[in-house]
Amino acid sequence: MTTPILEIRNLHARIEDREILKGVNLIIPPGEVHAVMGRNGSGKSTLSYVLAGKEDYEITEGEVLLDGENLLEMEPAERAAAGLFLAFQYPIEIPGVATMTFLKAAMNAQRKARGEGELSTPDFMRAVKTAGTDLHIDTDMLKRPLNVGFSGGEKKRAEVLQMALLQPKMCILDETDSGLDIDALQVVSKGVNALRNAGRSMLVITHYQRLLNHIIPDVVHVFSDGKIVESGDKSLALQLEAKGYADFDNAAA
Amino acid sequence: MADYDDIPTLKDNIDRATVDSVLALDVDKYKYGFETDIESDMAPKGLSEDTVRFISAKKNEPEWMLEWRLEAYRRFLTMTEPSWAKVHYPQIDLQDMYYYAAPKSSPAPKSLDEVDPALIAMYDKLGVPLREREILAGVERPNVAVDAVMDSVSVVTTFREELSKVGIIFCSISEAIREYPELVQKYLASVVPVSDNYYATLNSAVFTDGSFVYIPKGVRCPMELSTYFRINEKKTGQFERTLIIAEADSYVSYLEGCTAPMRDENQLHAAVVELVALDNAEIKYSTVQNWYPGDKDGKGGIYNFVTKRGDCRGVNSKISWTQVETGSAITWKYPSCILRGDGSRGEFYSIAISNGYQQVDSGTKMIHLGKNTSSRIIAKGIAAGFSDNTYRGQVSAHAKAKNARNFTQCDSLLIGDKCGAHTVPYIESRNGTAVFEHEATTSKISDDQMFYCQQRGLNEEEAVALIVNGFVRDVLQHLPMEFMVETQKLISISLEGSVG
Amino acid sequence: MAFSVPVRLGAAENTLIEQLNSAGAAATAERISVAGLPTRRVESYHYTDLKTLLRSVPPLADQNDTLDAFLKSGATPFHVEGAHQITIANGAVAYDDNAPAGVIVGKAEGNALSTRDDVLVHLNTALAKESLTLTIENTIEQVIQIDRRIEGEAAHVLDSAKIFVADNASVTILETLSSSDAAHVGNHATYLAVGRNTVVTHIVIDLSPRAATQFSTSEYTIADGAKLRTVTIHAGAALSRSQIFARFTGEGAHGDFTGLNLVEDGQHNDITIDIRHGVANTTSQELYKQIARGRSKAVFQGKIVVERDAQKTDAKMMMQGLMLSNEAEILSKPELEIYADDVVCGHGSTCGELDEDSMFYLMSRGIPKAEAETMLVRGFIEEVLDPVENEALAEALHGVVDRWLLGKAG
Repeated sequence: MTTPILEIRNLHARIEDREILKGVNLIIPPGEVHAVMGRNGSGKSTLSYVLAGKEDYEITEGEVLLDGENLLEMEPAERAAAGLFLAFQYPIEIPGVATMTFLKAAMNAQRKARGEGELSTPDFMRAVKTAGTDLHIDTDMLKRPLNVGFSGGEKKRAEVLQMALLQPKMCILDETDSGLDIDALQVVSKGVNALRNAGRSMLVITHYQRLLNHIIPDVVHVFSDGKIVESGDKSLALQLEAKGYADFDNAAA
Repeated sequence: MADYDDIPTLKDNIDRATVDSVLALDVDKYKYGFETDIESDMAPKGLSEDTVRFISAKKNEPEWMLEWRLEAYRRFLTMTEPSWAKVHYPQIDLQDMYYYAAPKSSPAPKSLDEVDPALIAMYDKLGVPLREREILAGVERPNVAVDAVMDSVSVVTTFREELSKVGIIFCSISEAIREYPELVQKYLASVVPVSDNYYATLNSAVFTDGSFVYIPKGVRCPMELSTYFRINEKKTGQFERTLIIAEADSYVSYLEGCTAPMRDENQLHAAVVELVALDNAEIKYSTVQNWYPGDKDGKGGIYNFVTKRGDCRGVNSKISWTQVETGSAITWKYPSCILRGDGSRGEFYSIAISNGYQQVDSGTKMIHLGKNTSSRIIAKGIAAGFSDNTYRGQVSAHAKAKNARNFTQCDSLLIGDKCGAHTVPYIESRNGTAVFEHEATTSKISDDQMFYCQQRGLNEEEAVALIVNGFVRDVLQHLPMEFMVETQKLISISLEGSVG
Repeated sequence: MAFSVPVRLGAAENTLIEQLNSAGAAATAERISVAGLPTRRVESYHYTDLKTLLRSVPPLADQNDTLDAFLKSGATPFHVEGAHQITIANGAVAYDDNAPAGVIVGKAEGNALSTRDDVLVHLNTALAKESLTLTIENTIEQVIQIDRRIEGEAAHVLDSAKIFVADNASVTILETLSSSDAAHVGNHATYLAVGRNTVVTHIVIDLSPRAATQFSTSEYTIADGAKLRTVTIHAGAALSRSQIFARFTGEGAHGDFTGLNLVEDGQHNDITIDIRHGVANTTSQELYKQIARGRSKAVFQGKIVVERDAQKTDAKMMMQGLMLSNEAEILSKPELEIYADDVVCGHGSTCGELDEDSMFYLMSRGIPKAEAETMLVRGFIEEVLDPVENEALAEALHGVVDRWLLGKAG
């Protein structure tokens, strides 16, 4: 059996005194797209933050392997260099830092961490231009400070642009469809689909089925009260959409 | 930064009740300006060691209290009047006033029956409910207990019996000095030290009365406690002293009101209020200050030089100050919180309205000493006529106040082009983990808002009152329910004559 | 009252009184002997108690001694490609016959500032011997640099410049304060008359070594339709204070007052501004950023005054503080003093550490912690530096900030 890209074993995490993740188990083999669905407050976003290494959470139990390596021991930047990418639900605004400057810094930092040389400016520009075209991102937008004053659609496209440039092994998309109208959703989904390949896995976190019409998952998991309570194929998402989450609450109890 | 278009709009801030209460306004101005003819027992005029001894003797104070006062008096002699506030007034002649004036009739009434009916009538006229029996005979539980202080003495305190059943002490400070000396000695001047400032030191030497509140551990005070201050005598200063102690896990809401007759002289009111909140205790202190502001030419009015400070001494304790300042010729007042206990919280909500020739220099201090302490300041200043209205506030985080948080919002509104509105915050971060946010705006009532109201049939003055009530709504809602409507009316009255 | 108790004078005050008396400035000497240097009780010095902070004052500089020697050495502390440089060394204005067309450089006796009641102004007025005079007649592309320096042994140096920007002219003036590594006390004055419909950028940077104390006062009058941008940067000195006094005297004028107060271990740097809207229809924006690391003190006092006749004033002031250490202090007093009713004025003040969410976001993209911090600090500062249009100048200013970030400034 090939090593899974992501393997989560019995993961428990808390913020202050409140336990939010209560034993998450999940295996994502290379090339697969898994969706995690759950209602607001079920802990889905916490899972994405814990995987990316946000400080606020305390891991009390369990382990996470990224391509066989212990993820939880790494700093956030090391996780990124190891191939983990989180597309934020609410991308952070960084005033005064041009998007272009940021992209270059991020790409070179990851290359450096992996022992690769820095990109030359022309190579970098070419890469950004290529990736940007499909996502309708022009150079004007790239000159603006990162995410500052970006519309909801612009922010999400910028996230996917970063994903395309950084070429991660494991992408986590946290509520990527929130704040998007239907046109923007199509552009973003198309961008994400273009990045699907045999070596790259994705974890799509959402509470609407709508996104999964565009990014079709291999496996769907239902998340409730801090853990996965049901897994199935894409029809599970439709079933959820039709019946709601209530049926799964008992399973969590 | 603030969104500068974000001045209050009618839609969001003004409800029907406000409109109604504003429309139902009386047109009288300062309606508390009457004088009551009650014979008084007075101290000799002027400030001296003898005056201090006279006051202490009148109060039958123990020796330690007299010594404490004399020590304060000696300190006072070495001090100079502060000059940093943005207020201007002629030198106050401390020798040309009386420091003690008490109604002669019944110096220490045992019950309401012994109180001079003229006094009860006066408080009735002021709208202060002293008729305990009638209230008790009413249909509902009493919701306010009152300590009534006239000039230099507490004339009556209502519902003491009721409160003592749950162990609450609510009495005059004079009585507390005699009856509960160990509590007074432990807490008096523990928040505002004797030599804290010029007026506080003067107060320590000559304070005459005020309220004392003690809430025992775990008790939630079943009713609002309230003190009503009245200056009646001529040429008399009022120096009251209030001390409130909330033991662990207790809660009290306290309200203070004040009025004075209209006179063409300036009278001095220099109070000290100290609050102590122990672990998990909460004190909510509200003031509706309506001392006589002087006449339309700036003659007369009270000089209100007050030191109010709360000490959040226990962990997770909370002190909240709400003030509505509409009166006084000069207001110099900074109700503050010392956030000593870890996790403690201080709040300051203020409405300061100045009209005529009033001068207001008021604000707060939030001194963060403990870890995870937080504070919030919402101050609304409204200047009209020829008045000057200054917000002065200090927010400071000490090196040990890890994760201190403050949010401050100061908004000023100018009505007319002869007044001034000023904002002077001191923001002192001495800790890397402290996060402070401060915002201030100054604007006028927009022509669009005025036009909209007038188009709906309000005259200019009514429209201003309506819009101003909307402007101060964030603060109003922190007042006890009973006083909200009253306060809205007061605001409207204070602004009369400010337009047109 | 306050003056009835005689003030105890310290060494610095006694030296100043001596220097003033020897210069024939008896009135100023008298002021100092009566009131002393300002303490925190003087509102405008609330956070910069000069009586405590200024322990001693070195002897007055001998101007003739140093000017020639220094001009021969020709070293410039801060070089901007293409700038025209005019030097004032130890208070003496160097002869300049090389000025670009439209720039008239001269010298005048005495000082530049108005009779404002401020001790640093009084001292400059009493002790500065000559002023640089600079007239800008039309649009000048070249950056005009006034290189104010203090050379040699520790000295008390007072210098002065009067700048007139003629109607419709435009110019960028850069003032650099620097010194040899000694316990100097500098007191620099600039008066800048901003003419009608001009576009003026005035930058003052303090790059002195850590032994020095630097005071600077800039006064502006701003005429109709003018656009003024000021940038004050503190990146040196043990103790420094920059005072900015500006008054709008003509309608339709706009001012951007900006600055960076960068402080590190052992420093106490103060930016104090007083912006007066004296006539109707003028606008201003004040934006100051303070960054403190180590055991240091950053002070900002900002006052906007809207006078009775200044209806339709729009003025917004912002101070943002960034704490990079637990021992640092950022103290700020943003004031509004408003006497006209039809105005929109406001201020904001924030203070905190680097934003955790931003740090996490950058690190989640693979950027290591230290680099992410630098990136955020640069971004924080950018709002102040970005509007500087001259490219060479902007680059040089970024250089100053970068050197500070690397701990190599001052």
